[in-house]
Amino acid sequence: MYILVIEDEPVIRKELKILLENALYQVTALEDFDSVAEQVIRKKPDLVLLDLNLPDVTGFDICTEIREQSEIPIIFLTGRTDSMDELTGMLKGGDDYITKPYQAPILLARIAAVLKRTRISETKESTVLTCHGVHLDLVHTCLEYGEKRVDLSKNELKILHYLFQHAGEIVPRLDMIEHLWENQVFIDDNTLSVNVTRIREKLKSIGVTRLIETKRGMGYRV
Amino acid sequence: MRLIDFLKDKFLLILLHIFCMCTLGIFLHVTGYSFSNLILIEIFWLLILGTWLLVTYIQRYCYFRQIEQTLDRMDQRYLLGEMLPDSYRLEDKLYREMIRKSNKSVIEKIHQIEDEKKDYREYIESWVHEIKMPITSIALTCENRRRSNVEEFRTIGLENQKIENYVDMALYYARSDEVYKDYLISETDLQEVVYEVLAKNQGYLIQNQVQAEVDCPDLVYTDKKWIAFILNQMILNSIKYRGDTPMFKFYTTKQEQGVLLALEDNGTGIGESELARIFEKGFTGSNGRSHERATGMGLYLCRKLCQKLGIEVWAESIIGKGTRMILDFPISSYLSKL
Repeated sequence: MYILVIEDEPVIRKELKILLENALYQVTALEDFDSVAEQVIRKKPDLVLLDLNLPDVTGFDICTEIREQSEIPIIFLTGRTDSMDELTGMLKGGDDYITKPYQAPILLARIAAVLKRTRISETKESTVLTCHGVHLDLVHTCLEYGEKRVDLSKNELKILHYLFQHAGEIVPRLDMIEHLWENQVFIDDNTLSVNVTRIREKLKSIGVTRLIETKRGMGYRV
Repeated sequence: MRLIDFLKDKFLLILLHIFCMCTLGIFLHVTGYSFSNLILIEIFWLLILGTWLLVTYIQRYCYFRQIEQTLDRMDQRYLLGEMLPDSYRLEDKLYREMIRKSNKSVIEKIHQIEDEKKDYREYIESWVHEIKMPITSIALTCENRRRSNVEEFRTIGLENQKIENYVDMALYYARSDEVYKDYLISETDLQEVVYEVLAKNQGYLIQNQVQAEVDCPDLVYTDKKWIAFILNQMILNSIKYRGDTPMFKFYTTKQEQGVLLALEDNGTGIGESELARIFEKGFTGSNGRSHERATGMGLYLCRKLCQKLGIEVWAESIIGKGTRMILDFPISSYLSKL
């Protein structure tokens, strides 16, 4: 996915680029704001992040220019929290409108949402993850090992999903909790421990022991 | 205007007449008029004076009554000068002119203050938008270095978020008088708003070991941004006055007249004597003093914005058990008929 960042504030531009690159997007940040619309069309990005206050020109005008030639998804970024601005943004053909200061998870989620909306054919994530012979079935929310299977709760599934995605790595507890919060599971440290204990019991019931290691003071590892 | 007051006011005139009547009586008596004629003349004199006073009284009474009624009906009373009824009397004319002049200066003063207030508000708004740039830079910088396991960046990030919240409060306070300029009423999924506010305060909430449950399936018609701000204040309060194992519950209940959104926590709670006052400006209460410094602005702003949005807000609490903040989104009977 190729994202074009149009932002005149150098620090924000640089950090935004790093943030998006960390989220595995390919990113170009424009540093020259002459004939922005042309540059956008030429670069053919999958998504444009457009700041509203640019030197000499407003994001709305650029959006209008781009819309004359292309249907590239555009997300407005702005420090202005005015409803009228938001409405104008939508009327000019913007796909979303995010106000500064944006929280990174929210920003990334919105970008993902717009990309998903505009691209129907997205590579689907596999629905069964495997680790040490244990299968995690995301669709049926269960664990399978050999012939045996056990059902999981929503929270347990999300915990295991994250661990399986990071198989072999030590996942710090705080990272785990942050990931869960980003996925609308709002639990604290103790509840995480309780959930992990419950997962361990379930694993035991299908004959798996010591799949999840506890690294004292660091986190969990699968 | 009572008759007795009127007569007191005319005391000198009446005294003058009495003096004249006496002088005339003595003069006529000395010049040899008969006593009965003299009485007749004096009675006529009194009668004419009485009638004259009565008529004047009624005239004055009507005149001032009219002014009083106008004043009662007026929205902006300082404009009275323009509304005074015509009068042939010199005094009335002079007073009217003077009141007009005085009113004019009041109006000028008011306009000047309004302009200054507007300028100030606009400055605050543009200042807020400017300060948000560096806040964004700091937030992004911290976010990008969060995974590098440097504890300081998390801390800076969290503190930065507090700054953001205080800045937001200033913005909403500046705007709260003119909410109508910044409305975007739409069908709002409360679940989504709650998720957004939780995500916004994620770091702070996790740091304080908070758990949350969200069950808000009902839709309401309101302005998303303002509701998010209000919820944000309430969540921050709940974190401030949290208990040992903080648990926040968000849920909606559908009612005939609207939708209730409740935020329930198991924190320190608010005493009954203070419960009624928590929405007052500058009220900090015993919690506010014993915990983190409270400004007494958060809930005041919530109530103010709720009033402008047509939402009712109140709190229920048991000390030591927790607090429940409730927002009541009415369903307008007019809207549902359409």
